[in-house]
Formats: sequence, structure tokens, C-alpha cells
Amino acid sequence: MTVLVVIDQSPYGSWRGRESLDMALSLAAFDQPASLLFTGAGVNWLRKGQDPAGISQKAVERNVSAATIFGIEEILADRLSLEANALTLDELVEGAVAVEYSPELVANYLNVVCL
Amino acid sequence: MTSPTSLAFTLVITGAPYSSQAPQTALSFAQAVIAEGHSIDRVFLYGDGVHLASALSTPPSDETNWSLAWAEFLIEHGIPGVACIASALRRGVLNSEEQQRYERSAANLVTPYQLLGLGEWVESIASTSKTLYFHGEH
Amino acid sequence: MKTLHIVNKSPEQARFGRCLAAFDRDDQLLLTENAVIAAGVASLELPTHCFALEADLKARGLTSGASVVSIDYNGMVKLTVEADRVICW
Repeated sequence: MTVLVVIDQSPYGSWRGRESLDMALSLAAFDQPASLLFTGAGVNWLRKGQDPAGISQKAVERNVSAATIFGIEEILADRLSLEANALTLDELVEGAVAVEYSPELVANYLNVVCL
Repeated sequence: MTSPTSLAFTLVITGAPYSSQAPQTALSFAQAVIAEGHSIDRVFLYGDGVHLASALSTPPSDETNWSLAWAEFLIEHGIPGVACIASALRRGVLNSEEQQRYERSAANLVTPYQLLGLGEWVESIASTSKTLYFHGEH
Repeated sequence: MKTLHIVNKSPEQARFGRCLAAFDRDDQLLLTENAVIAAGVASLELPTHCFALEADLKARGLTSGASVVSIDYNGMVKLTVEADRVICW
């Protein structure tokens, strides 16, 4: 059963997204199926062209785009949140798929983790 | 009172004491789990939740010491307590092994917690135990 | 699938809305910690199957009102046991 890890906070300003991503990668490393859902300000994780050298952090963009290589099944982006953050699909990292955030979407996952 | 079917729980605490209510809600829930005849496989501290495993937490004497209260509960019921090692090291919660490895001035991990990886949490997800999360307010 | 949503955030937080947006008609909602404030917000429409932790209501000087069932921690355990899925927001 796939675990859905929800990230709903912008990157860099808090550590929660990083620790959520670590959870998803851990699941994948132990062969437990996991998917990521970015919603709310969390969709900013997916924006291309991040350069956090000036704030002494590592870019999360690469971690996200590598997620599927490490076994994460899907990188989902809430369509309404993309619109609210003025993000178009071609501005997103490779592999992200726009979906409707709804009870039907969430019902596909027996385990939902939202730090 | 015992329920007809006994269930196993895993509790994940991500909210820190003294900055969130999570340790209190989680402890009240855990006590009720035992009272209802169920069991707790593991308590996993993650993110800011690892502060609960600091032995150096020193609240005023008229306030609950959540680190102590949780440690006593775990010991009394023989429940394994795990603090995520990556979260803990970043936030300055170390056992003596890590203190020596990184040559730090002190170790402060409360008994009975162990520092282990996220694999412990994955194991709970993969098992039949019911996993609940106790987050901070933000 | 019987889902119990547990939310501990104030109703003004985005997470609270995110919980409701994932809520299916027959799901259950449990308000804990600062979320119990929602039980006293008249303008907020809460789902039919809505519970709130009594200790958190009392701590904040609130009563549950007609549409919200007030429960203790043992009641919270029962809800989680009966649910097929629990989501902690």
C-alpha cells in the first residue's frame, strides 16, 4: 500500500519539508511504495531555478527531481495551489504531475503522512 | 476495560515540549491506549519531537517535566522509545556513543530512548500497527 | 473505508482547511488542541460526524455545542480503533 507524504510548506523557511522528504525516501529505500503530494505553499518545492547558496542551504530542487530515481512512485502537485502560486507546468521540475486535491485522491492511500 | 480486539499502536511525536502541546496529547492518548487494553509497539520521536528525549530539559518545578513524564511511562510499560538519529544529532540530542564519535562535551539522551534511523518508523508503517502522529501547532 | 481525521491546528490555519478539503462525507473529524476553537466558531461549517477532546475544550473555556460530540482520551482511542484509516493533520 502506497504511503502518501504531503508537503504543504515552502522550502528553506522551515525544516519540515526536508524531514517529510526524508520520510518518503526512507520508505522507498526499504521498498515501501511512497508518493509525494505538494500542496499549498508546498508547491514552491517544485519551482525550477532555485539557488539557496546565499542562505547557506542545499537546493531541494535536485532532491525532488531525483526522488523518482530513488523509488518514489509519483510527484503530485495540487493544481489549484499551482495556480495560486502562479506556477505553470513547464516551470516545474521534471516528473511532477498536476492533480486535483480531493477526498477521492486522498482515498487512494491507506497511509497519509503530513508533518 | 478490555476491548474485544486488542490493537498495537505506533506513536510518532513531531511537536516539541514547551513549544507545542504534542507531548501532553500524545501521553494522555498513550495512557488511554493502555487503559483500553491495547498496546504500543514503539514511540518514535521525529523532527522537533526529539527534544522530548533531552535529559537537560529543566522546566520550573511547578510545571510538568515532559521528558521525565514520558520516560517514566515508557519504562513502566516496557515500550521502546526511539529518537530519529538524524533529527536528534542536528538538534543536539546525543547519547554517549555519538558524543564520543563527534567529540562533543556532553551526552543528554534520556533513558530508555535509543537513537535509530527512519527504518524504525518504516517498520511500523509496514507492520499492522496503527500509526498516529502528534504534531506541533505550525 | 472509514477515515478518522485528527486535526490539532487552529481553524484559521491552512492545514485545517486542507483537512476539510480531504474530508469525505462519511468520514469522522476529531478536533484536538487548538482545533477545538472550531467548536465555538459559529461561522464555521463542521462535518456531521465531529468530535472534540473534552480536556482541550475545558482548557479553553469552551463547550462543544450541539453539533460536536465531546469525548475523553479513551473515546479518542475508541475512534482510532474503529477507523480503517487515521490521518493526523
